[in-house]
Amino acid sequence: MRRHILKALAIGMLATVSGGISSVAQAETAAEFYSGKNIKFIVPYKPGGGYDEYARLIEPYLEKHSGARVDIVNISGSGGMKGASEIFNAPTDGLTIGIINGAAMVTSELAEIEGAAYKVAEYNFLGRVVADHRVLAVSTKSGLETYADMLASDKPVLLGATGLGGSTYVDAVILAEVMGNNQKVIHGFTGSSEVRQALLRGDIHGMWGSWGSARKGVKSGDFRILVHGDRNGNPNTADVPTVFEFGQKTGNPDHADEVLGAWEALSLVGRPVAAPPGVPEDRIAYLQTAFENAMKDPEFLEKANQAGRDLSFLDGAGMKAIAKSATELSPDIKALFVAAIRGEL
Amino acid sequence: MTIVDGMTSGFFQAISIGVLPYLFSGAIFGLAIGIIPGLSGHFAMAMAVTFLYSMEPGAGIAFLLGAHSTVAQGGGLTAILFSTPGTGQNAATLLDGPPMRDNGQAGVAVGAALASCFLGASFGAIALALLIPVLKDVVLFFGPPEIFVLAFLALTFVAVLGKEDMTRSLIAALFGLLLAMIGVDNVTNTERFTLGSSDLADGLSLVPVILGLFAVAEMVELWLRGGSLAKGTTIALSGRETQKQIFYGIGLAFRRWWLVLRCSAIGTVMGLIPGLGSAPAAFVAYGHAKQTSKDKESFGKGNVEGVIGAEAANDAVEGGALASTIAFGIPGSSSMAILLSGLFILGLETGPQMLNDKVDIVFIMIFTIIIGNLIGTIFGMFLVNPLSRATSIRASMMVPVLLSIIVTGAYASESSLFDVGIALVFGMIGFLMKILNYSRAALLIGFVLGFAVEKNLYLSLLIDGPLFFLEPIPLTLCLITIGFLAINIYGIIRDRQRSKA
Repeated sequence: MRRHILKALAIGMLATVSGGISSVAQAETAAEFYSGKNIKFIVPYKPGGGYDEYARLIEPYLEKHSGARVDIVNISGSGGMKGASEIFNAPTDGLTIGIINGAAMVTSELAEIEGAAYKVAEYNFLGRVVADHRVLAVSTKSGLETYADMLASDKPVLLGATGLGGSTYVDAVILAEVMGNNQKVIHGFTGSSEVRQALLRGDIHGMWGSWGSARKGVKSGDFRILVHGDRNGNPNTADVPTVFEFGQKTGNPDHADEVLGAWEALSLVGRPVAAPPGVPEDRIAYLQTAFENAMKDPEFLEKANQAGRDLSFLDGAGMKAIAKSATELSPDIKALFVAAIRGEL
Repeated sequence: MTIVDGMTSGFFQAISIGVLPYLFSGAIFGLAIGIIPGLSGHFAMAMAVTFLYSMEPGAGIAFLLGAHSTVAQGGGLTAILFSTPGTGQNAATLLDGPPMRDNGQAGVAVGAALASCFLGASFGAIALALLIPVLKDVVLFFGPPEIFVLAFLALTFVAVLGKEDMTRSLIAALFGLLLAMIGVDNVTNTERFTLGSSDLADGLSLVPVILGLFAVAEMVELWLRGGSLAKGTTIALSGRETQKQIFYGIGLAFRRWWLVLRCSAIGTVMGLIPGLGSAPAAFVAYGHAKQTSKDKESFGKGNVEGVIGAEAANDAVEGGALASTIAFGIPGSSSMAILLSGLFILGLETGPQMLNDKVDIVFIMIFTIIIGNLIGTIFGMFLVNPLSRATSIRASMMVPVLLSIIVTGAYASESSLFDVGIALVFGMIGFLMKILNYSRAALLIGFVLGFAVEKNLYLSLLIDGPLFFLEPIPLTLCLITIGFLAINIYGIIRDRQRSKA
């Protein structure tokens, strides 16, 4: 009997030890795997933009916490779709990751634009760098003091936008759809910096864009933020009303809330870092931890702060949930967004 | 901080021991990048940005902008010696640089190019310094209607470039305009001439097109012709002779100071206009040099004024391009966008705040451009000898080496294999154009400006309605354009009658 107990104990111990070893071995394989390897980090835009800057900002810390060498590769084209597709269809060894333009990739996918060779909800997300805080900036010389002013304007308010169906365009037409205000979208500028210049010149009255692109103009007193897109407010624009407030004052508050909610979900997708689907789980888990540690590295936080770059980290699991909710829309809301993206609104 | 304080402080910071070494290494780095065909200023800056994280602001700016400012000088060397534009902005140098080399005047051409670059860059930088008090107004002067008319004015320079054979030049320019339309139209979201290919959806990129039209075409020709790159001379110039020529060339650039000044002004103004870039500036300056020259006939056959005009303009662009970046933090080109993110990394913010409180930083930039180009000129001189020896190597050795560098350059700017294909296709087009005597310069002007003309026309129509050109500033610019065209048409008719009589 005793021998049996001892035997069982021995087997048990052996199992624990071997189990322990195997789990250690497994954890080591992911770390070992990445140690000294090169990770290709795809930036879907040319060097010099916000995405490129974020990537280069985080690169050294991602190296520090993953033990791998991180090479930034700019693959620009089709408004970021080329790079996003490249990430999605990369080999599943976990050595290719990249940052994507969440909102634009979701909308292009919904509108089934040619070249969108990816499914946003199926990426393996490492986490989000920043959410896209959308704001409506107007020139301080435009005479528009508040959003209520703008909604009540008899003359069409001129809003600048980049390409037909680009995010600055979609923001403007979706909001007009909800609020029913009198506006004219002047689209065709190349890049948001050109729209800003037109705003400074007074060629247009305002533009929808990310807080990051409007920040400098607000600081210098050239721009005024009339309204922003976060339901629960945002510390960047603490004293500015949200569009949801105005949505309640429309003729159909429920519909307004639904459309605005879907619109906000898009901006929450923000700028995530993603790996392709099909990468072994342990490597994804390892990369997620490395990314989280990099995003929380005090040195990194200071650098980002110095460069005036907003951060709003979200982990991989949270990101996946957001991506899912942003891509699963009710049919009429989806139809509305597709029309906006195709420039039919 | 007053402007004078900023200037002195900026100057002493730029030549301080903590900054000058960075400026020096940046300038050499830029020169090397410029010499390699296909790698441009925007590539040099993108690489330099990676090093900024550990640098002090002054040193970082000197390194970044130093690298950017000498690229055109390096590119000019390659253009003259190897008939291959080192960067896109050197394409205009190809019209007269290589013919000078074939006449045994490579040293003169290079000397003139290096000195004109330096003078042009200094002009642009000084213009920027003088504009600081009114920088905001200057930048905001250019809206869609103004840019439309100015781009159209630049387009009419095709008339000067192709005076000898107007029909062929117009065909080439119109072909260029058609090429500019390839891709998804920004306004209507319609695909044009993409043949269903997603690679063509973003249109053709400038670098592979220029590399193909000029560099690959040259290689094809050289391969078929055999011999060495330098046609006229069988033996390489001796080191001593080259040196003499370089100094003579530098002297020539200084003696043609009035031309340098006018072409630099063209470059600076075109730099101020967002989205035009330096390649068209060089061509317009070349056209201007040709038009005002007493000896129009020798342009394209090795006239040093053609080299001086083009090189002065392509470096003067920098001063203008910096204006909108500094005044508002709005980048006018991809290089300026990288500079802007570089400044972000260094913890500096452009815009009114910089103009008011940190004007010394602006002056560090200004002195960096001037000193960087001086360093580039001096080092460029030393590079001429070894490089010019390579031009007498026979084609069967030279073509494979150069072609592989060109192909790598075409690939590197966007990491795109498709671009390599574009470069090769345009190599054949360029070769055919060359033997059939169609102006590749006209095509390039059409191609580069086509997009700017179309986009700004559309925006002007949306903003100001169909009569946008009746606003005071666009109207003035329109009248200048019409006057310019009238003078040219009159000149052509007069020449024709003369040749008949």
